[in-house]
Amino acid sequence: MGSSATASKPALSPRSGERAAATGRSLGAGVGLRAQHHAEILSSRPALGWFEAHSENYFGPGGAHRECLLSIRAHYPVSLHGVGLSMGSIDPLDTQHLRQLQRLVDDVEPLFVSEHLSWGSAGGRHLNDLLPLPYTEEALRHMAARVREVQDVLGRQLLMENISSYLRFSCAEVPEWEFLTALAHESGCAILLDVNNVYVNAMNHGFDPRDYLDGIPRSVVREIHLAGHTVARMQERDVWIDTHSTPVCDAVWSLYAAAVQRFGPLPTLIEWDADIPAMATLQAEAARADSISGLSHAAAA
Amino acid sequence: MPPLRELQELVAAHLFGEEPDSVLAWIRADGIDPAARLGIYRNNLQQGFHKTLGLEYPVICRLVGTDYFRQLTRAFLEHHPSRSGDLHHVGAAFSSFLRRRFVDSEYLYLADVAALEWAYQECLLAEEVEPLDPGTLRNVPAQSHGMLRFSLRPSCRLVQSPFPVLRIWQVNQPESAAEEIIDLDSGPDFLLVFRRPGGAYFHRIDQDDFRLLAAFAAGSSLAEALDLIVASSPRFDLGAALRRCIEWAAFARIPSLHDTV
Repeated sequence: MGSSATASKPALSPRSGERAAATGRSLGAGVGLRAQHHAEILSSRPALGWFEAHSENYFGPGGAHRECLLSIRAHYPVSLHGVGLSMGSIDPLDTQHLRQLQRLVDDVEPLFVSEHLSWGSAGGRHLNDLLPLPYTEEALRHMAARVREVQDVLGRQLLMENISSYLRFSCAEVPEWEFLTALAHESGCAILLDVNNVYVNAMNHGFDPRDYLDGIPRSVVREIHLAGHTVARMQERDVWIDTHSTPVCDAVWSLYAAAVQRFGPLPTLIEWDADIPAMATLQAEAARADSISGLSHAAAA
Repeated sequence: MPPLRELQELVAAHLFGEEPDSVLAWIRADGIDPAARLGIYRNNLQQGFHKTLGLEYPVICRLVGTDYFRQLTRAFLEHHPSRSGDLHHVGAAFSSFLRRRFVDSEYLYLADVAALEWAYQECLLAEEVEPLDPGTLRNVPAQSHGMLRFSLRPSCRLVQSPFPVLRIWQVNQPESAAEEIIDLDSGPDFLLVFRRPGGAYFHRIDQDDFRLLAAFAAGSSLAEALDLIVASSPRFDLGAALRRCIEWAAFARIPSLHDTV
């Protein structure tokens, strides 16, 4: 144990929320960081637990966006959420992309670094979208190796997020929750559980979303996402589309309550990436999440 | 079921419109045709590409109208699919694409407007590098001046065009109320695009200053750049031109010079 006063003194970072960031669990809900809110966040410091930035939006080595992100980081915990590493692609990992992520991680010192259970490129061409994998043994081996590779480079644990999907492959697959759990087990990653994506997939593919929650071990989930979706009509059937353009619906709030009951209160994020509303609307969504989880932004102080 | 690599290539080929049917057998219908299911992803691909280019090239979009801009982005996607998981790169070749498309037409100016918009975007995200402190130049012995290699700050870009691209850009900004008919023969434009707090801006500079900066950007020494310019502009005043470049904060620090101070 600490033999001198210096050694036993906790190394406190000047950044606000650092203690909460270390434990994570006590944070009130956060919201996705969008450029149109940068100035307002810095001037009015809304009462929110944390922010999550899309990593690729801040890859540019200079400029106002990156400066704003670092200024916001001085006042709030921030997590980095990647959409472009194309984790499940057979294409080689884009080492330049990974270097840019590593540099951003070094600068931001994020609460979490997350990516998606998806693929997005083939033969060097990127679709810049999150496509589902076939949940097979081959895909699991590939994905687990890829996650380990990224974790080794970054020197930290990744959180992998379940995606919304609009198709399934016609091969012998395991359920998505089994695949995600096996991935966490084999790669050592944690899970970012997107409750809206669970709901959207349950509607699109006909399973009970509670089975999904029950299929994920309590210990591997570190973060929860909530978002809005829309319902489109296709060939006389409804298709649930993960648009991040609307408030969280009542069914997803109920499923969130079930998730809190199963996994305990976890850092929860409101995602809203299209038709982006005023900060007050996002704060109201975050407050609703806090009322369900029993946490609040004050817990971060 | 094909191996994962082949499956991903078949899906991608389908989404790019190249292999319409071969992947369909591997997708469950569950009440909706596999082709319609893949159509959701094709729509995402095309919409995402279109939206990104619209954010990077708002002036081109305004000049040609949304419908034609959509045709352009579809054609561009076919020839220049994204090569990165970072969408910020997708528009890099848009100017050269427009140049090939409009090479012998009255719309060739669109390629140069696009080059200006891309330079603007690059400026906004470029690395911040300290400008050259002119005081450090005093330490350079006169006989070494010719060997000096100035480099441009990453947040500076050069754009030249036979067309009045800056005026076209200015009157097509969202806040611009100008209903101006621009004479396409009122060029040329020689522009230095640079970043300051609050955004990216432009200096319209003269042709010889532009050639000097372009020579430095290409790696020329001071002596080499001077030779190039005086061959066609014998009265070129190098000292005055360098002072202007320093005033614009166009040059990056020269590490060896700053280290000696």
